[in-house]
Amino acid sequence: MADTTMQTSPARQRGAPRYAGWIGKVMGSGAYQLTIGLLANSRRARFVLLLVIPLTWIAMLHIGPIYQMARISLMSTYPASAVGGADYTLDNYLLFFQEPLYFIPFIRSLIFAFVVTLVTLLIVYPVAYYVAKVVTPRNRTRALLLLLVPFWAGEIIRTFSVIMLLANRGAVNVLLRELGFIDRPIPMLYTYFSLSFGVVYLIALYMLLPLYSAIEKIPVSLIDAAADLGAGPLQRFRRVILPLSRDGIVSGCSLVYLTSVGVFAAPLLLGGPNTVIFPEIIATLFHGSSDKWPEGAAFSVIMLAVSLSTVGLFMRIAGGRSVRLM
Amino acid sequence: MRAYFTDAPKTALSASYWLFVIYLLMPLTLMMAMSFKDANFIAFPISDWTLSWYAKVLQDKQFLHAVGYSVLIASMTTLFATIIGVWIALLISAEGIWGRAAIFALACLPAVVPGLINAISMRIFIRVLDIPTGTGAIILGHTLHAVPFVVIMVLTRLRSMPHNLIDAARDLGADNFIAFIRVTIPYLTPALVGGMIFCVLTSIDDFVRTFFLGGYQATLPMLIFAKVQSGMSPEINAMATVVLVVTAAVGLYAEHFTRRSRT
Repeated sequence: MADTTMQTSPARQRGAPRYAGWIGKVMGSGAYQLTIGLLANSRRARFVLLLVIPLTWIAMLHIGPIYQMARISLMSTYPASAVGGADYTLDNYLLFFQEPLYFIPFIRSLIFAFVVTLVTLLIVYPVAYYVAKVVTPRNRTRALLLLLVPFWAGEIIRTFSVIMLLANRGAVNVLLRELGFIDRPIPMLYTYFSLSFGVVYLIALYMLLPLYSAIEKIPVSLIDAAADLGAGPLQRFRRVILPLSRDGIVSGCSLVYLTSVGVFAAPLLLGGPNTVIFPEIIATLFHGSSDKWPEGAAFSVIMLAVSLSTVGLFMRIAGGRSVRLM
Repeated sequence: MRAYFTDAPKTALSASYWLFVIYLLMPLTLMMAMSFKDANFIAFPISDWTLSWYAKVLQDKQFLHAVGYSVLIASMTTLFATIIGVWIALLISAEGIWGRAAIFALACLPAVVPGLINAISMRIFIRVLDIPTGTGAIILGHTLHAVPFVVIMVLTRLRSMPHNLIDAARDLGADNFIAFIRVTIPYLTPALVGGMIFCVLTSIDDFVRTFFLGGYQATLPMLIFAKVQSGMSPEINAMATVVLVVTAAVGLYAEHFTRRSRT
């Protein structure tokens, strides 16, 4: 907002501004004049007005829940016993490292997210490149829209639709059997295959958008220049296109990794007993009564810390000048 | 372009695009097709076709109630998230603000925390504050998730706003509030519309937050999830198809609207 103060301006003294309609009525009313005089037209009051609500919201709701989660993760019982108050301990964190039942799914979850991220990158990169550089600008919106529309269907609907494809009597198995390739259905559902198929299906968009916007910004003249200087397609890709799309790769991979570490609906519907990953473990600790909450909170803190620091490290190592979220 | 691409890479790129489109559309198409199957179970091939599942869905009280409940939550979420998001964006873009980068990072925090952790920390938070699970808690959770995206969209738009627009309004006699209402808000309209559509779509689609924060009333994703778990029939497909078609129509209309207002 502009810094000029209003009180002494000649316009106000002449009784202007004169707005027609409801704005004029509102501005003329005493209550409005009083409020504005007190709030919006004093620099200090305006600053406070601008400051208080957003900062309260951020402090309360962006930091508050994480803080409470960290606090409860250190408690030995929750709710704290009435006598003697809260009892703080590190046992919940130690339990995680002592118990393979928790530790193994965690490692599995990290590896799973890593593989999903890599696969998504390899699948989506050529697609993003095609839309950004090969499609004529006139058709570009349409080509992009065709990729976006499936993502407007919700998480559950998309996960459910994967079952249609991969179930024992789903499209793939029925087709293969009709063609005579197999006698009995291949069990694809409730395996790592169906889980990663579903997760890639859910989150490819988070890779597509950053990659597309990074590749689109690469000037065609640079690629032309490389070609004029005798670089073949492969060399042009390795020496020009890839380095210049690094920003997109870094933010796309970070987003996909963070999302697939915490994926929740897909394992419930597409995973089986052999594919238990960490989010399911955490979620079961929050079912029912609250006596397991401290453990669940501790595991959540571990997961948050590890995934955020992995991504932070990745950005530091691979990072371009600026990594944006969107 | 053609001169620099021998045909082989171009064909490969084009093939990868179309294969990816097929990958994205195939499951949803199969899901829609299954909703016309005249049998009580989900299995291919489809030999008899019927519309009766749609008739059943449109009379299903549970479904209609879930639609209403989801719309209620989405509209409240959109209202709150837009107001708070714009407010935070204005604060971050204000002149002479101290710690801008830190405020921005904190404002974006809910967007980088994995969804499950977000939901669980909110579950703990509302329990500490003695807020019951249910409508209010869901709206709070959805708003928290949507705010960072509104902030980013509004900030991007604010950055391109010429400074002298406000000055001009002030010179013409508007006070700060009027200048905000009549100049800043209209200038932000494309970002606001984009942000609101994002809020509506994410709120209607959200599963994990609703799962942990919800009470006894089911939103649309919760209802579909419960039905999938309790045994599958093509009724779910019809239900999902109705939801899918309506959200896609809203999205396409919104896309059309924002594109037109941009040019």
